[in-house]
Amino acid sequence: MTATLRIILVLASAWAFYYVLRNIRDQKLQINDSLFWFFFAVLLLLLALFPQITFFFANVLQIESPVNLLFLFMFAILIYRSFRQSIRISQLDNKIKELTQNLTIYEKKNNDTKDETEQ
Amino acid sequence: MERNVLIIIPAYNEEGNIERVVSNLVQNYPQFDYVVVNDGSKDTTADICKRNGYNLLDQPINLGLAGAVQTGMKYAYENGYKAAIQFDGDGQHRPEFISTMYEKIQEGYDIVIGSRFVTEKKPNTLRMFGSNLIQGIIRLTAHVNIQDPTSGMRMYNRKVIKVLAEQINMGPEPDTVTHLIRSGAKVTEIQVKMDERIAGESYLNLSRSAKYMTTMFTSILLIGFFRKKTILQEETA
Repeated sequence: MTATLRIILVLASAWAFYYVLRNIRDQKLQINDSLFWFFFAVLLLLLALFPQITFFFANVLQIESPVNLLFLFMFAILIYRSFRQSIRISQLDNKIKELTQNLTIYEKKNNDTKDETEQ
Repeated sequence: MERNVLIIIPAYNEEGNIERVVSNLVQNYPQFDYVVVNDGSKDTTADICKRNGYNLLDQPINLGLAGAVQTGMKYAYENGYKAAIQFDGDGQHRPEFISTMYEKIQEGYDIVIGSRFVTEKKPNTLRMFGSNLIQGIIRLTAHVNIQDPTSGMRMYNRKVIKVLAEQINMGPEPDTVTHLIRSGAKVTEIQVKMDERIAGESYLNLSRSAKYMTTMFTSILLIGFFRKKTILQEETA
């Protein structure tokens, strides 16, 4: 963990805070969905301020270079997040499908009763 | 058309409660309009409402409490109501307090909270500890003392109905109330009694409560400082 890397982590954290808050301010992001990114930003900050955390876990897992642990850790978090988002997208997909089907059947019913009253 | 108060009843899997709750309103409080918002229930909630001819908004899919309440707010706004109250479909809220709450709206308050703890003391439970924490951070950020911030029984005037109906991040939770106060909304509480739910299951469990508290803290203590002030506008007829 070089000083440069730590500075980059702090800057990334600050930028993440700014970027997430700006998108909430612009009414583009729901507060519920922002929580993960705030925790992510806090995590970056903690790792930058306390490199001992990275050293400790690198030692426990017998990873030679602590920075590799950092990469591994970030990968793990982001892959998990990515999977959660797959689930979310599947659910949204399904909801849109159900909505479309409901609306289609509703319109059909509506048109059928209209035809009946016209006859 | 002269319409005053709309009672919005969000209902998710409330087949054991909904008939009792709504028939009480229909029989004893005909001066108020109501609408049940069925939030894609998997049980017979919608069937019960249709069979009894209740005024029903039947959502084909589940949107969650915030989505269901917002549906009710859109309906209230479209139909010209002066006030709308969120009223739980599980029978915890009692209709005898609605008229007192509406009087406060007529006095010029934007939000009236049906509060369990204006004159009554808050019990020392874990849940009420959470309530105290939220009360504390609202006092810190909005400089208003709300004794029962987590009460779901809240009445809003037309200015607020418009905002709740149209904007994002306006779920019916304490962070929204806090944000609205900081945007200039006037809030008051009146003492109410609440009943225990009779049938069905409470939505809150430990992990949901922890998530709820985290969301409220982040939203009120961090995000609240960066949100744009909401503009509460009187309609120009």
